[in-house]
Amino acid sequence: MTQAIKLDLTKFYKPEYSAPKKPTLLHIGWGEYLQIAGKGAPGSESYIEKIGALYAAAYTMKFASKEAGKDFVVCKLECLSWGPGGDASDLAECPMEDWSWELMIRMPDFISSRDLSSATKKIQGKGDTPGIEALRVVGREQDDCIQMLHVGPYDQEGSTLESMRDFASREGLSPHGPHHEIYLSDPRRVEAARLKTILRMYVTGASSP
Amino acid sequence: MSREGTIEDYRSRLLRVLEYIQDHLDQPLTPGELAEVAHFSPFHFQRIFRGMVHESVMGHIRRLRLERAAIHLKSEGESVTDIAFGAGFEVLETFSRAFRAHFACSPSEFRKRHRPIRFPEAQSSIHFGEPDALQDLWTEGGDMETLDVEIRKIPAKRVAYVRHVGPYQECGKAWETLCSWMGSQGLMRPGMEMMGLSYDDPDITDPERLRYDACASVDVDFEPEGSVGKKTVRGGDHAIYRHRGPYEKLSESYRRLYGEWLPQSGREAADAPCVEVYYNDPDSTPPDELETDILLPLQ
Repeated sequence: MTQAIKLDLTKFYKPEYSAPKKPTLLHIGWGEYLQIAGKGAPGSESYIEKIGALYAAAYTMKFASKEAGKDFVVCKLECLSWGPGGDASDLAECPMEDWSWELMIRMPDFISSRDLSSATKKIQGKGDTPGIEALRVVGREQDDCIQMLHVGPYDQEGSTLESMRDFASREGLSPHGPHHEIYLSDPRRVEAARLKTILRMYVTGASSP
Repeated sequence: MSREGTIEDYRSRLLRVLEYIQDHLDQPLTPGELAEVAHFSPFHFQRIFRGMVHESVMGHIRRLRLERAAIHLKSEGESVTDIAFGAGFEVLETFSRAFRAHFACSPSEFRKRHRPIRFPEAQSSIHFGEPDALQDLWTEGGDMETLDVEIRKIPAKRVAYVRHVGPYQECGKAWETLCSWMGSQGLMRPGMEMMGLSYDDPDITDPERLRYDACASVDVDFEPEGSVGKKTVRGGDHAIYRHRGPYEKLSESYRRLYGEWLPQSGREAADAPCVEVYYNDPDSTPPDELETDILLPLQ
């Protein structure tokens, strides 16, 4: 019997998911995501609830897809966030309650809204699952960004962002758009000082290769 | 009971087992019988022994039988075959091979040598017929680096599970069966916990016979189906130790939990298997970053 190949998008798009500890410029291509939007402080009850819904649907779809002969690795959680101004520039100044965010997990492009609705129906059928009806499968083109690995607590991202901003001005790039984080570690299990997070800062002004 | 009290208590119970073993080497000894001698739960006895004596209980018995055979070889009269049989070997060749592996010469060469008997070193430093060494067991206990263990009351949990029998490295199949079924039933719900129950000690049990249950907590009622069963994982006080790193190194953490922590804890293990709680998806987490809690049930 031949072993079915398990698709691991983080290996397939390696440069996008392995950031070094110094700023690098790269282009993030089109990708499909399981996504849920919300507002309020990250870590709030509704935020945690939505993460639960996201993983429940992601794994339900993974195993349904595996049954159908197309296995894939469930990627790490990502979060886009922005302030009332619509981008990352005012995140540091405004209260966290005013933050908007989208939580997402990258999906293979063979996963569709139909897979999602069949998964959510199954989960809802077993009992109320807050947030699950707000999940979407969306495609997004993400553009040029500066990417860098941050090691440590989330509230100490400042110095990492500082090096990213310095890099941007040296290269003549202008930051725009939301703040993007990819969580390589689980904050509930890993001590804050060891948390690994990929940070992305979207920029304009990069010359096309 | 005070902490010093339990160290003394665990030590004296193990000494009772060690003496019992030395006195009954010509009888078939089983781990169950020895657990009873020391009043340890059969679920945990072999791991406690391994942790404190630094040798598996069956390995210890086998080595002592070889040492005793060596002494018998030096005294005239008994045939090598009789000695082999007395050491629990039914076939002379198997005895000769085991003897050679341990003493680096054949039983007959050993008999002819004009040298005082010297036993090869053993990790436990306990040898046949040396009661003094027995008394030294675990006197260094107080100097050990303390393990970061937390005692917490855990609620009982309803789980769906799939039983795996075989090497632990191959338990992936049970997980796949369980997860595919959970997904198809809509039971992969927020807050689901993935747990493993291991009933045997891989240091002792033949890999083909290791029993392991892949379990996932389920917060609603469900009907078991096919190889997927339903049961409740016991609640109550547990000693919890966080293992960081590859699953292959879990047995190292078990040894420390049973050998270093339990004897000085002031507590007694309950009659139930240990529970492992997995916090990462091994598909997307590097082995060095895997986090696993080992839950040792306490009385």
